[in-house]
Amino acid sequence: MTATVSLAAPQPHADLNPLPDADFRAAVRNWIAASYPQELRSPPKRLHAAEAMPWYRILSQQGWLAPGWPRQYGGMGLSPSKLLIMIEEMERYGCARLPDTGLTMVGPLLIAHGTDAQRAYHLPKILSGEIIWCQGYSEPDAGSDLAALRTSAVREGDQWVINGQKVWTTLGMDAQWIFVLARTDPRAAKQKGISFFLVPMDTPGVTVRSILNIDLHDEFAEVFFDDVRIPADAIVGEVNEGWTIAKNLLGFERLFLGSPKQSEGALDHLERLCHHLGKSGDYASLLNGLRMELEDHKSFYTTFADRVRRGETLGPDVSMLKINQSALYQKIADRIMDVAGELGTLAGQVPDAPTLYPGSVFLQARPTSIYGGSSEIQRNIVARQVLGLGR
Amino acid sequence: MAAVLATGEDRFEGVRLLVESAAGIAPRDGDLKTVRHLRFGRPGIDRGRWSEISAMGWLGIRLPETAGGAGLGMAEYAALAGEVGAALLPEPFIEAQLALDFMGKDAPAEALSGDRLVLPAWLDAPDGLTLAGGIAEAAGGRISGRRRFVPMAAAADAFLVVSTEACWLIDAKAAGVSLEIESALDGGHTATLILDGVEAERLSAPDAKALEAAALATASALLGLMERAFAITLDYLKTRVQFGQPIGHFQALQHKAVDLEIEIGLTRAVLRDAVETFDTGDDCRRITSRAKARAADAAMLVTRQAVQFHGAIGYTDEADIGLFLRRAMVLAPRYGSAGFHRQRYASLTEGRP
Ligand SMILES: Cc1cc2nc3c(=O)[nH]c(=O)nc-3n(C[C@H](O)[C@H](O)[C@H](O)COP(=O)(O)OP(=O)(O)OC[C@H]3O[C@@H](n4cnc5c(N)ncnc54)[C@H](O)[C@@H]3O)c2cc1C
Repeated sequence: MTATVSLAAPQPHADLNPLPDADFRAAVRNWIAASYPQELRSPPKRLHAAEAMPWYRILSQQGWLAPGWPRQYGGMGLSPSKLLIMIEEMERYGCARLPDTGLTMVGPLLIAHGTDAQRAYHLPKILSGEIIWCQGYSEPDAGSDLAALRTSAVREGDQWVINGQKVWTTLGMDAQWIFVLARTDPRAAKQKGISFFLVPMDTPGVTVRSILNIDLHDEFAEVFFDDVRIPADAIVGEVNEGWTIAKNLLGFERLFLGSPKQSEGALDHLERLCHHLGKSGDYASLLNGLRMELEDHKSFYTTFADRVRRGETLGPDVSMLKINQSALYQKIADRIMDVAGELGTLAGQVPDAPTLYPGSVFLQARPTSIYGGSSEIQRNIVARQVLGLGR
Repeated sequence: MAAVLATGEDRFEGVRLLVESAAGIAPRDGDLKTVRHLRFGRPGIDRGRWSEISAMGWLGIRLPETAGGAGLGMAEYAALAGEVGAALLPEPFIEAQLALDFMGKDAPAEALSGDRLVLPAWLDAPDGLTLAGGIAEAAGGRISGRRRFVPMAAAADAFLVVSTEACWLIDAKAAGVSLEIESALDGGHTATLILDGVEAERLSAPDAKALEAAALATASALLGLMERAFAITLDYLKTRVQFGQPIGHFQALQHKAVDLEIEIGLTRAVLRDAVETFDTGDDCRRITSRAKARAADAAMLVTRQAVQFHGAIGYTDEADIGLFLRRAMVLAPRYGSAGFHRQRYASLTEGRP
């Protein structure tokens, strides 16, 4: 079995789990070096879907888009240790982040809670890149207090009619579909009257307006729903059960957001920056300390990823993973600014070293402690639901 | 509230009045429309405001009256820098002052009047507060060499090229001058100045203490900036409602806010001591390093935490709080990063009892 996988050019869709980890790493490294579009290496900003598509398609053809999905649904079914190797190799090569909401959220959600018809329609379209997804949870007055959301869905005949506004929708300008939490029972208690919908963005009544982020990038958007009509089967799970589904999805989201990916990329950036400044020796102790922290975080990540692989649903303790990852990522980003000196003041790339953009790395690390449940909210969850403190 | 960095009653009152008079040009509560309007443009400053600044007598504030200055001290200079910092003005107030301080009695009248904006070009590395060599002077007084990270260089009418042995005044449009301009995160810019046989007026050697003044003034600008960012954030904590109450009611946020208030208080205290030491004429390098390191770290902490307190709106360009973070990112390393100043402090402290 192992003998059939060429480490120089691993076959598309081959099962790589039987490979020893070292061979797997070699295969991934070789393949990335041979396949990655050079013009997309280490982009200073998150790519829009159209820009990232060439890489998305290359991964799709190789069958490597969804390393964590089970093989039966077109994923790689990778073990956590191999998943980590893949993350390391991609971050070190400077592979761009994909428009990954479908891959990290919608796919796992439909695998767990979707109907056969939803799975059959959507999973292949995520894996081919035909449908890029975005997440419609937050509203202007429902951020941390997500259950205060006011977007409504009313049943009329065999349709749902959605009205309201979502905000901070990442890649909302790029997506073909959005998943939406909407209130279906205004009289029920806050969390009880919410349902989960899948909505094509080209439905009449959907309007999108982009928002510039602090790094002057139109990475997120406002999405308005004005009498948007969708079919009855656009719901995931039961009516008024959306909160439970959303909470299960948060487990996947927090596992993904707790992955060492961003910290790995940032530490690599810091190492290259020190090298560029001719100061790798001066900062050896700093770099070593951060490297050890990152490896510890990977161990932490593996304990959660192992549980998912065994088919367990993650509990509120996965919040700790997300808190630690964003704290580590931001700590590395802070050190990047400390080391960069005047290079950290530049709005773009360092002129004679275009894969370095310390200021942008610092800014892009800011929201990780805000989105997907802020670090304060995650701490509240752990305090109450894991430690049994408080209400 | 403005930090009045002076002790002694008469001086305190003088500085207070000076700060009050600054409100017309650099208001602490003004809207930031003009700041936004000038971002990412060239030259990126408002010459009208520059004339007002000079009309107020702020240029050459530390120069003796015999040299055309205002004859005031570091306390007054730092207080004004704090107001300019809080207002996020893009005009290179501290840089222009540094050029005047370097030139001292040689400072030309047009520079003091604001008609000719002279910016200093002294740095040759991404970090530090040390004068560099490397400017070659040929027969006939033409100079060649390079200086890096000249803030707002596109606005300059002239440059003061500074090296360990001399200063040279050159016209920004002189033959042989070229600029490589990079945009900065705060919407300003920074340039590498390349000189190739440029006609120059040689002035006397620079007084390195001018750099200490610039570092302290920058620390003060960072203080003003963080005070205002914190005030804006406190307002937000009192008005943004989640879970049926203002988010400022949550103890987790209260405690973090208190930690920021402590940082601001520490910065103000160190800066006041540093300014006082400077004005006594003693060697102020160690305390300057303390003040600049503290101000840089505190401003970064306050502004990034301010963004966190704002949630997603804090991560947008449209929210003003981000302007403070982005300016802090630009000012923090200027005239020596916190890391540089901690190292300098250690090396100046070696061998002391
Ligand atoms: C870059 C980015 C991308 C995003 N992408 C998406 C997306 O694709 N889809 C989507 O639906 N949403 C998205 N979001 C929104 C994100 O989920 C929210 O920002 C988040 O839930 C926080 O809500 P808020 O911004 O309204 O902040 P608020 O809830 O107003 O919080 C403000 C501050 O108060 C704190 N706070 C609030 N309540 C408490 C409490 N009880 N105890 C202690 N502290 C508290 C918060 O931690 C924060 O520091 C994105 C946000 C960002 C920044």
